[in-house]
Amino acid sequence: MKKTLALLIVVMMLVPFVVIAGGQQEQGQKSEKVVVDVMAYGDNSNQEGVSWKRIVEAFEKQNPNIDIDDEMLYDEAYHQKVVARLAAGDVPDMAYMGADARWGAPWKEADQQWDHREYLDPMYDRDLIPAMGPNGEIYEIPLGTSNITTVLFMNEDLVKSLGFSAPETYEDMVAMVPAAREAGYDVVTIDGADGWAWGSCLMSAVIARMSGDPNWVSKAVAGENKFNDPAMLKTLEFVQQMVEDGVITEKSVLVDYGANTSKYNNGEALFMVQGQWVAGAIENPDVKAATQLMAWPELPGQKDGVEGSVAAAIQVGYGLTKKGASDPAVRDAALKFLNYFYSEAESTQRLRDGAIVAPILKGYEVPEDIEPIVKRKVELAQTAMNTEVIDAFLTGAPNDALNSGAQKIVAGQATPQEVADQVEKLARQ
Amino acid sequence: MNLRDRREFPVYLGFVAPALVVYLAIVAYPVFYSVFLSFSDFNPNKGGNWNFVGLMHYTRMLQDPNFWHALKNNLIVVAVSVFGQIPIGFVLAYILYRNMVKARIFFQSMLFLPHFLSVIVIGTIWKRMFEADGPVSGIIQFVTGDPSAQFTMMLHANQVMIPIGFALIWIYTGLYMIIFLANLQKIEDSLIESAKIDGANEAQIFMRIIVPILWGTILISSVLAIAGSLKGFDLIFGITTQGLQRQNALVLPIFMYETAFRDYSDPMRFAYGSTISNAIVVISLIMIVISNLISKRFNPGEEE
Repeated sequence: MKKTLALLIVVMMLVPFVVIAGGQQEQGQKSEKVVVDVMAYGDNSNQEGVSWKRIVEAFEKQNPNIDIDDEMLYDEAYHQKVVARLAAGDVPDMAYMGADARWGAPWKEADQQWDHREYLDPMYDRDLIPAMGPNGEIYEIPLGTSNITTVLFMNEDLVKSLGFSAPETYEDMVAMVPAAREAGYDVVTIDGADGWAWGSCLMSAVIARMSGDPNWVSKAVAGENKFNDPAMLKTLEFVQQMVEDGVITEKSVLVDYGANTSKYNNGEALFMVQGQWVAGAIENPDVKAATQLMAWPELPGQKDGVEGSVAAAIQVGYGLTKKGASDPAVRDAALKFLNYFYSEAESTQRLRDGAIVAPILKGYEVPEDIEPIVKRKVELAQTAMNTEVIDAFLTGAPNDALNSGAQKIVAGQATPQEVADQVEKLARQ
Repeated sequence: MNLRDRREFPVYLGFVAPALVVYLAIVAYPVFYSVFLSFSDFNPNKGGNWNFVGLMHYTRMLQDPNFWHALKNNLIVVAVSVFGQIPIGFVLAYILYRNMVKARIFFQSMLFLPHFLSVIVIGTIWKRMFEADGPVSGIIQFVTGDPSAQFTMMLHANQVMIPIGFALIWIYTGLYMIIFLANLQKIEDSLIESAKIDGANEAQIFMRIIVPILWGTILISSVLAIAGSLKGFDLIFGITTQGLQRQNALVLPIFMYETAFRDYSDPMRFAYGSTISNAIVVISLIMIVISNLISKRFNPGEEE
């Protein structure tokens, strides 16, 4: 019995060595390849994730000496993992990242942002890639041109069916309320249960209109403006006014992202507030064909010089980290992959999928056969003035207080003044 | 250690060492690291030097209204677990054990079914139940005759834990029912038959025989419920949307997560997050000690 037991223990202790030896053999085979450790964004059920997997597979087939070793995560899980990996010192060679207060902050803090300018392929249109650092650094290659976050999607057929046309002023929208209610439609649907939607998709547009300053947000974060200045107060009061006028319903604070797009897809709302990216989620062919993308019409109390403006942030994309760039072999392999990933064919596919506004490639021409909704998006991007997105600059507790404050205003639990004072207090702490 | 023990020590070590190494690396090390972080200004994401800051983060935590709000919500979850899930689970187990309902297996399976689902899936289901014009709002509209009526408890800080408590009872009662049922089945039938012959009614059998026998199980279940309630993250995260709802339903683990993983504006967020984690552990231990003391007070013979 003892012998059997001893034998069993010996076998059990040998198992790890055998496994490790096997792993090392595999490592040996892999060592001929350049391995690029990537944190990718998406999941197996969305277009972004499916495209990523397809592109990686095709690239590896064409480049058998390069292994794109990816870890793909989506939404909160991605942000959690970025923080955890960086804090643990497990820095990837390349990752999906941004350059703002949300998507860029952990990389900046970990000092892993790497300037791509010297290594950018001539295929990119440098005029379409904004500066991301104080000296014009480019820390990631954006998936597309500026990411418009405050698009007003209009179901033109529905608006016309009620006897109206595209609104030129906010009052035109208010005039639609009785007829829309009578017909059982919402005038504007917003995913108001998600706090960020109020900041990113609505107030970012309104603050620029009320202040007349496209850069009001960054100045407020820097302390030049206060978050309880009249401009912000008027912005929060406008949110309250929209509910009082019936343009947005009180129950919108119980509508989440999925329910919001479903509502618009099902033709239950005349307008929808969201970012440009949601164009790809409008799947009802009738609604898709009838959808116009527009900036908010003229708002009451709006200042001059910002007519028809939309808030837009630098688009996120893939970029190398300092760690990835420190090894020339990895750096070259990663850049080769990026050029493949951003190729004209793949960028066009991204455009067709509704994921981007327009590619950042030099001399790129939008294909003739592209869907009208995508063409309208490109038109909006080309014509509308861009202003700052709030959460591209404001982060943490003050941003949360602003977003949940807007929700409280809609739910009748706080006044605009209370919310503005709270945000200002937190921003200065 | 005698000679025989000494000879067999390597064998014991062989059995214990792998699990011990894994435990030390995955559980013990992060716990000690978390304690270290909570007394420092170190930011692991940034690296560099660190300084000992004493009780600074603990003082900050005690002055933070979010901490007290989260603690209050956590205590509500504990109360729902200990005084809701366990008694209901016990009563349901007793009903099934005494064959007071037909189709016993069916009810047993139905009550335990939620436990087979991922908590995030359950959270999403309940989120759909509570959304604008969702099933719960539909019932309110039907009952009140007001087509615009909505279920708004998720929007109010002082009401949000009611629907969440209901969901918690729905999910976990089945688990406690199974634990109690398994223990009830170990009780000799003759004991209950004897009580019946002596003239005891159903209530007396339950209170005088069943409850004292299962007192240890009640205690263990309470400890499980307290520990589970204080570390519970997934259900509340899944059931609420980001923003006002999650702020209303803030519990300590979510407060810790929001602080350490999302508040990029705070350079000491990891240290502060670790402080909150340590507070969760300390509060859990205090509550478990209290439940032990209460248990001994009411049933001193049980532990002997």
